Amino acid sequence: MSETAAAALGSGAAPVKVVHADRPTLLEWLGMPVFLAAVLGGTYFWVTSQELDTIEQRVLTREQLTSSTVEHLQLTAVSTLVVVLLAVPLGILLTRRIARPAVPVVLGVANIGQGIPSFGLLAVIFVAFGSLGFTPVVVGLVAYSLLPILRNTMVGLQQVDRSLIKASRGMGMSPLMVLLRVELPLAVPVMIAGLRTALIINVGTGALATFFGAGGLGYIVYNGITLNRETVLITGVVLISGLALLVDYLAGMAGRLLSPRGV
Amino acid sequence: MHTRKILAASGAVIMTLGLAACGGDDGGGGGGDTEGLLDGASITVGSKDFDEQLILGNISKLVLENAGADVTDQINTGGTDVARAALVNGEIDTYWEYNGTAWISFFQNTEPIADRIEQYEVVRDQDLEENDLHWLAPADFNNTYALAYQADAGDDLGNPETLSDLGDLIAEDPDLATLCVESEFSARDDGLPGMEATYGFEFPSDNVTVLDTAIVYSATAERDPCNFGEVFTSDGRVSALDLVVLEDDEGFFPLYNPSPVFTDEVYSEYGEELTEIFDPISAALTQEEMTALNERVSVDLEDPADVAEDWLSENDFL
Repeated sequence: MSETAAAALGSGAAPVKVVHADRPTLLEWLGMPVFLAAVLGGTYFWVTSQELDTIEQRVLTREQLTSSTVEHLQLTAVSTLVVVLLAVPLGILLTRRIARPAVPVVLGVANIGQGIPSFGLLAVIFVAFGSLGFTPVVVGLVAYSLLPILRNTMVGLQQVDRSLIKASRGMGMSPLMVLLRVELPLAVPVMIAGLRTALIINVGTGALATFFGAGGLGYIVYNGITLNRETVLITGVVLISGLALLVDYLAGMAGRLLSPRGV
Repeated sequence: MHTRKILAASGAVIMTLGLAACGGDDGGGGGGDTEGLLDGASITVGSKDFDEQLILGNISKLVLENAGADVTDQINTGGTDVARAALVNGEIDTYWEYNGTAWISFFQNTEPIADRIEQYEVVRDQDLEENDLHWLAPADFNNTYALAYQADAGDDLGNPETLSDLGDLIAEDPDLATLCVESEFSARDDGLPGMEATYGFEFPSDNVTVLDTAIVYSATAERDPCNFGEVFTSDGRVSALDLVVLEDDEGFFPLYNPSPVFTDEVYSEYGEELTEIFDPISAALTQEEMTALNERVSVDLEDPADVAEDWLSENDFL
């Protein structure tokens, strides 16, 4: 949640962190994977060099770490997929002239989702659902990460030069073709910035899933805190932040490959 | 200034009890003979962040004020780690800590000591030696782990009474043996792993759901997603939600008795007085009393400060 989020939230202001469409250099390709490998490897060696007591041994097993990471990835992947499927069409719809009156209403609702503290939002959804586990937590994550993608889709489409759209129409393209071949490709860099924000929100907020029966890496972190075990805490924190950096890196690279050249 | 506070406090006590006006003559009013013991002392009281701790923190605050100390209220300092760090750094002068927590969490042991006196003494001695912190006598009540189920579910579950009965249920009908726990219980030696080892059964791993502590109670009461839940024995919600606690027939779960813990700065000057003030209170805090107090806060949503004051007045500590 850095400048991207701030820009995405700011009304109408163009997002600061926009992916550049020029081909990434080797350093950009390899920098993050190498960094992550170094951090994870370093943590691994540090933990294995420690003398672990039974509590630490129990939490830091291969199976436990793997299952927590997989649960966390599933939460992130499913909630991000759902939020993209919801927010992108909604964002396109809201930038059409006919839907203009609905814009403040929809943005208001999305703002509420983002504005409530994440733990409170999950608790409210838990009460509303009356059940626990994967689905309610995914609903919470979706509500929480809807705004950046919705907002960036709208900003991305709105910042497309009007004269380009007029020219395309003049060339005989239908409104749908203009949308698909001109507007959306030109909006991709901004939309990807929103996607990256949403991914990072979902990885971070996913740490709360453990309180609502959906597992994830929060289990490791929370155990490290309550049982005062540094190795457990640091392992959990490194895995969550590593995961956040990894998905952000992947989304950023995907954005570069998807963006049209010269934008 | 102290006199004014005491006058005000005693006035409040008298009004709460609805007694006829006759107070104020000796500046004491509601009983207790600790007034003036701590004149001139300046003590900052802290606590952890859950209901039982808020009540205990308010009990400390009220009796210290009653004894003439100038009390700074830092109750609800934070979680265990925050409260402990505040005490070690001297930001607060006292809070109530559980001997089992100190043993497992602060001193990094994994095996609890079964005898409550021995467990207390070992912790008291180690904390004094290593950190210059002073543990007063522990409260009578014990806030430890237990497993419980909703009373209405009893017939479905074969009305288990003990943890050993639970082993039979797991063997015969594992699908019914669903369990909700908080994360720390699933990792501690004195939690689920040790319990399973002691009783020789194991919950099917898909049946164990990790939840927030507060949600475990409602999830168990609603039997969604689990028939059994991990609870704290002194929690007011156990009786309020009509939960049946399984007897720990092998005596596995350790005892967690809390003591008021003081910094050396305060204890070295007022140690005797503090012992005189707190020992009778700790002795009076029985399981039944503490559970009833917790229930008033957790279930009836009363103010912990009011609950503490009522209890202290009723027992003539103020």
